Amino acid sequence: MKAKLIFVTGGASGLGLELVRAARRNGHRVICTGRRGAQDLPVDFPDIPYLSCDLASEDGAHMAADWALQHSVGQIGCALLNAADGYFRPMTLETPDAITRVLSVNLEANMILAHRLYPALGGGHLALIGSVAHKGAAGMPVYAASKAALDGFGRALAEEWRGRTYVRVLHPGPTATGMAERAGRRPNAADKLFLAPRPMAQAVLDAALATTGRDRQVISYGRVLFSPARWRRKGAA
Amino acid sequence: MTRVLITGGGSGLGQALAAQCRAQAGMSVCVVDIAPPADGASDWITHDMGDPANDSWSALSDTLAAKGPFDLVILNAGINATGRYEQVPVAAHLAVARVNLLGPMRLLHILLHKNLLTSGGRVVFISSLSVFTGYPGAASYAASKDGLACLARSLRKPLRKAGNIHVQLVCPGPMDTPHATRHAPEGARADRRIDPAKVARMILAQPGRRFLLVPGAGARMAAAAGRAFPQTMTRIMGKVLFRKLT
Ligand SMILES: NC(=O)c1ccc[n+]([C@@H]2O[C@H](COP(=O)([O-])OP(=O)(O)OC[C@H]3O[C@@H](n4cnc5c(N)ncnc54)[C@H](OP(=O)(O)O)[C@@H]3O)[C@@H](O)[C@H]2O)c1
Ligand SMILES: NC(=O)c1ccc[n+]([C@@H]2O[C@H](COP(=O)([O-])OP(=O)(O)OC[C@H]3O[C@@H](n4cnc5c(N)ncnc54)[C@H](OP(=O)(O)O)[C@@H]3O)[C@@H](O)[C@H]2O)c1
Repeated sequence: MKAKLIFVTGGASGLGLELVRAARRNGHRVICTGRRGAQDLPVDFPDIPYLSCDLASEDGAHMAADWALQHSVGQIGCALLNAADGYFRPMTLETPDAITRVLSVNLEANMILAHRLYPALGGGHLALIGSVAHKGAAGMPVYAASKAALDGFGRALAEEWRGRTYVRVLHPGPTATGMAERAGRRPNAADKLFLAPRPMAQAVLDAALATTGRDRQVISYGRVLFSPARWRRKGAA
Repeated sequence: MTRVLITGGGSGLGQALAAQCRAQAGMSVCVVDIAPPADGASDWITHDMGDPANDSWSALSDTLAAKGPFDLVILNAGINATGRYEQVPVAAHLAVARVNLLGPMRLLHILLHKNLLTSGGRVVFISSLSVFTGYPGAASYAASKDGLACLARSLRKPLRKAGNIHVQLVCPGPMDTPHATRHAPEGARADRRIDPAKVARMILAQPGRRFLLVPGAGARMAAAAGRAFPQTMTRIMGKVLFRKLT
């Protein structure tokens, strides 16, 4: 595969960081944004261009777009829009500011980025990271709705941009990034079943860069544990 | 007295819903709309459902607390932005997301937080057939309506448990309203669209309180096809609608 310029949002931690690592392992050039300041990056963070910006504000998303366009010199091979926020709690315990922020980061920022990056995505790939929660989740109604919205957005955009840019909505299953605990869900026995972030990231990246496959895909146990690429790599190792 | 709250009650489906409620004995209506009332109606709150400022929402919250609690809430206000995604100004897309999705979330948050929903009452979400078919040429609208439908699905059980409140999801296809006339492709025939008054009657008459209501046989067929073949249906929408819009 030809080396591509890959742009990742939320690349300083969790699945985003594993996406950065997977893309680099596969020989791509990677640039990424994150919420945290550069001084708070993990110690083993790779030596790649990093922009700290808060995607909860309109300015933040435009800043990220300007930065990505500048660093990619107008040609992005693949944009992996992964940053997300959300809480595991019922509507009554939400706050107006949190609702607004979750929709800004999970939906509006991605809408702005898709709009602004359009010129650079010709011949490239746009992957929107959703969640299996997009079908509805009583325990996290706001987060689930934001991911359902992203699914409907990508579904329409994939058809509009067909033949020019590959648009994919990829819905990961439960992944052991610590997101669930940060979101306020109490750890329980089910955590043992969460998928490991590294193979999940590889499966997401493979799906994002594929030129075949459905516009919207669930990336969960089946895809992560039984991916042909995984066995190929194991065999090679 | 059954108290009804309707957003976007100034035009189209919302207007039809409000008119039918006003005509019924034992129902009182409160409309929330961005425009002031045309005929000086008193049962009206002028409010922008897409307003990002917290102040206007606090004011709305106080007004609702004085007028409520409500037995029937219909989240109906909605706008669209049609055309090639990248050619429509991004501000218009963001407005769609805010009016159609963020606004209903904020309103529901107020109603739940302030206990303004009566036990045994219902909340009706006006989403769209696009949930089943996809809607190329209206990506932000499709996003907002999928989000709204998901919100209804997520809240269904919790609201039923907490206060015996019934949640309903309505997914209309094209209706003959000012909204549809603004966003249909040129040359589209209005007589193929369903009469909003008919949809309003179906919503208000819901006897068995089914969760999902897709009004009209044509829309139901499209929904079934979209369920069985989601991507094929979106590709057909792309061919028959998007190519005409752009
Ligand atoms: N983990 C799961 O089980 C799971 C399941 C389904 C879907 N997903 C999805 O997969 C993606 C990655 O999830 P994850 O598990 O890695 O979550 P995570 O560990 O919580 O990471 C979220 C990332 O988004 C960034 N972020 C959050 N708010 C931001 C803001 N306002 N501005 C800019 N960046 C912001 C965070 O940056 P900082 O670290 O710098 O704060 C972090 O890098 C998300 O889209 C998530 O919804 C996860
Ligand atoms: N018509 C269709 O074919 C169709 C199909 C599927 C779903 N729907 C949905 O059905 C609902 C009703 O549609 P409709 O066709 O009756 O639309 P409509 O004729 O445009 O009426 C919408 C009403 O909402 C009001 N409104 C607009 N923006 C608002 C805001 N920011 N805050 C408060 N009120 C606002 C409008 O006020 P102004 O007139 O002053 O702007 C108007 O009174 C919408 O949610 C729509 O998405 C419609």
